[in-house]
Amino acid sequence: MSGITHTTALWYASRATGVVTLLLLTAVVVLGILVNRQGRLPGLPGFAVTGLHRSVSLLAVAFLAVHVVTAIADPYVTIGLAAIVVPFASAYKPFWLGLGAVSLDLIAALILTSLARARMSRRAWRGIHWLAYAAWPLAVVHSLGSSADARSGLVLGVLAGCVLAAAVAVAWRLSRAAREVPRARRAAAILSRMSARKAEL
Amino acid sequence: MSGSLTLPQPALAPGGPPRGPEGPVGALPRLLPAPGAGPVDLRAHLARYGALGSAGGQDRLIREVAAAGLTGRGGAAFPAARKLAAAGEARPAPVVVGNGAEGEPASSKDRSLLWISPHLVLDGLQLAAAAAGSATAVLYVQRDERLHGRLAGAIAERAAAGTDTARVDLVPAPDRFLAGEESALVSRLTGKPARPVYRPVRGLPRLAPGRAALVLNVETLAHLALIARYGAAWFRTAGTAAEPGSMLVTLHLADGRASVAEAPLGASIAGLLGLEVAAGPAGAGVPSVGGAVQAVLVGGYHGTWLPAAEAAGLPLANEALRPLGAAVGAGVLAALPADRCGLAETARVARYLALESAGQCGPCFNGLPRIAAALEHLAGPRPDSRARAGLERWAGLVSGRGACHHPDGSVRLIRSALRVFAAEAGLHEQGRCRGTDPRPFLPVPAGLPVSEEDWS
Repeated sequence: MSGITHTTALWYASRATGVVTLLLLTAVVVLGILVNRQGRLPGLPGFAVTGLHRSVSLLAVAFLAVHVVTAIADPYVTIGLAAIVVPFASAYKPFWLGLGAVSLDLIAALILTSLARARMSRRAWRGIHWLAYAAWPLAVVHSLGSSADARSGLVLGVLAGCVLAAAVAVAWRLSRAAREVPRARRAAAILSRMSARKAEL
Repeated sequence: MSGSLTLPQPALAPGGPPRGPEGPVGALPRLLPAPGAGPVDLRAHLARYGALGSAGGQDRLIREVAAAGLTGRGGAAFPAARKLAAAGEARPAPVVVGNGAEGEPASSKDRSLLWISPHLVLDGLQLAAAAAGSATAVLYVQRDERLHGRLAGAIAERAAAGTDTARVDLVPAPDRFLAGEESALVSRLTGKPARPVYRPVRGLPRLAPGRAALVLNVETLAHLALIARYGAAWFRTAGTAAEPGSMLVTLHLADGRASVAEAPLGASIAGLLGLEVAAGPAGAGVPSVGGAVQAVLVGGYHGTWLPAAEAAGLPLANEALRPLGAAVGAGVLAALPADRCGLAETARVARYLALESAGQCGPCFNGLPRIAAALEHLAGPRPDSRARAGLERWAGLVSGRGACHHPDGSVRLIRSALRVFAAEAGLHEQGRCRGTDPRPFLPVPAGLPVSEEDWS
């Protein structure tokens, strides 16, 4: 592997933003699970976790956009514009890039429905938001399949860390589901906790 | 001021057209009977107001209501004619619902109206059903056996007399603050818990795909019954040009007495609460019939505190109140005595409001309990000096982030308390308090929701 030249810059940029996007998406998934189960982060009120989930997801979209644009613009491989959104239409590694395209489409659906949340029913929004559990593994498999250096060394370590974090979050979600506070008692439970703690500020 | 359940009736005088139910035009009360007369049965109702007759078609009624400028009396003050027109165009015909849930603990005007003048509400329900082209109507009323018994009796009376065309079903509303919120009401009518539902805000709410609901407050329906009889010009003989007509108000005087009265919109708040406008030095409170008053709560528990001296100079009209961040709402006015702690009063209400969260939206069920706990802390002796800043920060974080307006309304009340009782908060930091009378002033129900059944 040589240094960064103007011909390899796009290639490196695409790789790097791909890795960062996956890290951010993993954070989004973990935060989303925290939001869903009323989880807390140290030093943050529960509802601030929701804001963090949204902000990180928008950041991930920005990196994803750079990842896709640099991959298309990179003259080293031929992918084709249509392959951004049409799965398996790429000339280069159609299967592995196709998984990325599917993941991108699902993420687009999540973002668009969340932006239009005020205009749709909560049930429909929730249903579509379940697609996050499909989009994230697809992105992981896309990373592993389309990049040889993701199968060894540091990048593999990052990927393994992402998978571990998401797995822990899902396991935690399942364990919390078993002892969820019913809606009717949520506010009362929090209020009694707060009063006992003498208004943590 | 106005006629009231507790005050003597205005003198009747012969008057020329247009005439109201009795006496000269504009004479109040319109909706309530003579004080002390007791509940009105169908015969007394017809004797006072006459038969409803055919209103002359739905278009004429909608035109008349639009000309009258009638707005919803449930608190939102939405133009009633626009709802009726939307209902008239909806196919199939929407179900008409009279909303008498009145979850607001400080308000009892809907219950009083339903108890004393049920036939005005039932007349209005029939008119709205006719305007919507609907053969069925629902009366959604707070779960109360005596009141439901009385309403069932009134409906039976009308069935026997053959006055009605639309069938009326009585549906009990759970005793929850949010039970009367429009989407919660719709949820309850579809057999689900009475919780607000996140829905796009356009057009009429839907009971089922293709089946809309026309939801009107019971007092709005009673005004509808009078406008159909006496017309828009008569309706406008009370109230202001921008906010015509009369409205029922629930008054909490400084001595603890509470009453329901009927007042024209634009009536002086000082007159309604018996405040003496020519006040002495600021800080001592404004003298009133019930003792010195330090602040006035306008619009109920989603409403706004105003300093008594400021409130005493204001009319009960949105035109004057909105620039101050206040609103007429459902007509609750409470005069807080000078010897109570405004922060402690608001903290009790904030706790109640937090517990009335439907537990659906994170910012609401997580945020309101924290805000309530912080306000309780502020209401106690020697609070942390960061408490006020923390409250403001959290208030900003929950505002506008719920499926319904519960967080927004609760935050409005709490922020106004932080403004109006800022001096009190300063006293607390020095370990002092103005509240020498520890008895609670504002009514707050004790029962908390503990199970799903509490919401249905």
